[in-house]
Amino acid sequence: MRSYLPIARASYMVGLIYRFGFLFTVVGNIVYLGVAYYLWRSIYSYSDVIRGLTFNETFLYVGVGSAVFVLLKTYADWFIHYEIREGLIANYLTKPLDFQVYNLFANLGSLLMNLTAVALPTALIMGLVFKVKLTYGAGLFLFPISLLLAFLISFSIDYFIGLMGFYSESVWGLSTTKEIIITVFSGALIPLQFFPEDMQKVLFWLPFQAIYHTPLMMLTKPDQGLVVFLPMMAVQLAWAFGLFLAARLFYNQAIKVLRIAGG
Amino acid sequence: MSLIHIENLSKHFKILNRREGLSGAFRDLFSGDYRTVEAVAGISFDIEPGEIVGYIGPNGAGKSTTIKMMTGILKPTGGIIQVNGQVPYDNRIRQAQIMGVVFGQRSQLWWDLPVIESFKILKEIYKVDQKTFDHHMDLFNELVGLKTLYSQQVRTLSLGQRMLCDITASFLHTPQVVFLDEPTIGLDISVKAKIRSVIKELNRERNTTIILTTHDLGDVEALCQRIIIIDKGRILYDGDIKRVNALFGAYRTLKLQIDGFTESTLQNLKDRLLECFGMEHGITIAATEEFWTDVTIDQAHTPLSDVLSFVMGNFTVSDVRIVEIAMENVVRKVYDGALG
Repeated sequence: MRSYLPIARASYMVGLIYRFGFLFTVVGNIVYLGVAYYLWRSIYSYSDVIRGLTFNETFLYVGVGSAVFVLLKTYADWFIHYEIREGLIANYLTKPLDFQVYNLFANLGSLLMNLTAVALPTALIMGLVFKVKLTYGAGLFLFPISLLLAFLISFSIDYFIGLMGFYSESVWGLSTTKEIIITVFSGALIPLQFFPEDMQKVLFWLPFQAIYHTPLMMLTKPDQGLVVFLPMMAVQLAWAFGLFLAARLFYNQAIKVLRIAGG
Repeated sequence: MSLIHIENLSKHFKILNRREGLSGAFRDLFSGDYRTVEAVAGISFDIEPGEIVGYIGPNGAGKSTTIKMMTGILKPTGGIIQVNGQVPYDNRIRQAQIMGVVFGQRSQLWWDLPVIESFKILKEIYKVDQKTFDHHMDLFNELVGLKTLYSQQVRTLSLGQRMLCDITASFLHTPQVVFLDEPTIGLDISVKAKIRSVIKELNRERNTTIILTTHDLGDVEALCQRIIIIDKGRILYDGDIKRVNALFGAYRTLKLQIDGFTESTLQNLKDRLLECFGMEHGITIAATEEFWTDVTIDQAHTPLSDVLSFVMGNFTVSDVRIVEIAMENVVRKVYDGALG
């Protein structure tokens, strides 16, 4: 484990070095928050509660949702695909490193970078400018754990797509399709409560809502009690483990393409 | 016991036969039409601890494939391969600990970070203790002035500086064997000389075995006692560099650009040189690229300066270059039985 920590530190530093990228992410997210605020404000001008959510809750959901969206956007799929396609993977294969764990930690660094660049400013602006209030409840304490599980799921999906580099020249199509599916079915764009009931039931079992909807619910309605939260987290945990393992098995298959067909 | 043991090692690649055009590309989607390429076709050699071995051959000879099998990236199709008594691809992570690798075209350093950070990261990856780390960093500083580069981003380094950093980094964890895949590619003469002296010093320091692939015979001449020449996946020569040197070291190619060059100029040049230096002059002439005429001279028979002054005196020459014999020519001569 000790040998992987400096890797997370390194990718955090890379984020810091590109100061302007950092700055634009911060500014971009503030602009988005403003747009979301006025959009939902006008929707809520017709009713105080929609689908059981108040304006305060919806804005919290959407605002934090956008922060989590940027937080998890580490472009791991692009990087991994690039490294495989360009043969840079040879540098990792000749070191005493596990490729998956290496990438997990590199991503953890980017995640922490995004946390500094986006999550903290967003939290400050939501609280100080838009005066969003948090309700007190158990969910608030579960939120960080749930977010970590969300990160694991999101990483595994990205890693999966990155591994396609062994088979395909371009990752653009897959990657954009993934983005769209996740944005829509995870609740990142619109709270899942706004979806038809039956669809919500199906989505509950998919990994996408486990990335956004689950942690966001813990923040917007933290007082629902463990009866609601524990099953949600169980689904998260199952996906986090399942996908990590599946990605590992997939790597063992995919690497054979390189080892047998050449790099 | 030898450090690297290779016996009848082979590696075959299956390559899809691609068809022409759009419709061909569609049919290729379902094609099962593969052909087998023998990248390495049954090679055997042993390498002892502390050796510097030059592993040379033209492009596509199978050099990199062999290196990739020794480092455990590729799985051989057949034969035996052992590094330090272990099969590389079976124990990749453990084996990586005793190896250092530099791929000339791809840096192992962290591109966006200052140089020192890469060394710190490698220290943790290989679990190098502080004392060894300090000792090596001092040594590297002595050899290449590493300290002045510490705070510089890797991507802002010149190619030569980057290569020196890459090479020293591959020695950080005191590996038993270091693979250098084309470490002098694209570098100028003075940087090449620097890199060669650094490699030599690092080899001497801990008696580290080094396997070097290169296109530059100068690298081999400067560093290796032993040379393995490979082409089309087969070993053509394995042995002392002295014999190769005796044969090719004396050859130089004089490249000439002659004004108003025609086919008859070439014949004229041939006749005049024959007339001047006699039958046993060891000179061959060929028109290679456009405008350039190559005169290859065996200096054991005729001094290059004599030929040069003769040509300059009798022809209007607009440009001259002197080059060492090319790898391709060495391999061709070995085929012709020069070392047999």
